[in-house]
Amino acid sequence: MNAWLLAALLLLPLGLGPCVWVACRGSAPQRLAGANLATVMTTVLFLLLAQGFSRSSYVDLALVLAVLGPAGTLVFTRLLSPARESRTSSPNGGNTA
Amino acid sequence: MTVRHVLALAMLVVATATLLLSAGALLVLPRPYARLHALAPATSLGAPLVALALALDTGPGRGAVKLLVIGALLAAGGPVTTMAIGRVTAATDNTHSPEDAGT
Repeated sequence: MNAWLLAALLLLPLGLGPCVWVACRGSAPQRLAGANLATVMTTVLFLLLAQGFSRSSYVDLALVLAVLGPAGTLVFTRLLSPARESRTSSPNGGNTA
Repeated sequence: MTVRHVLALAMLVVATATLLLSAGALLVLPRPYARLHALAPATSLGAPLVALALALDTGPGRGAVKLLVIGALLAAGGPVTTMAIGRVTAATDNTHSPEDAGT
């Protein structure tokens, strides 16, 4: 056990737990805040575990998540915005794209 | 136990405390707008500090550069996603119009 694994051991339940809890309750935009913080926590956990187990190749997981995490959140916000819903459901056959 | 390792461990402690503070704030702060403030410490301080501590512990080289890039990505992605979530929260919030959505 080293300091990196100890930090990961702390962050897994106490850091990721609240994020999962928030991501499971409330309206969709409010859940997104929990999902967003969960992405950051998971990226940090990947970094700590890679260092703790001396597997530097696993840092690539954190790199991919650091790139795709924010992109995924932006896609969620794009799909959740009502402007998109009102355009697709307008009765006079508006733009359905 | 070199000075560099001690410094890295000190950063790790501060970063872990910041991330735990962020997770706690996510639970405690009221919905839906004040809660978004909980995302800032994690993305602006906690995660980049972890990346910096790891880079310091790893020592100069390609691995450290990759860690710093990850920290920079998290630091840059945080505010952008928080603003996007705030906008969609204001847009879907029936009680406030987006103009007077106080954050």
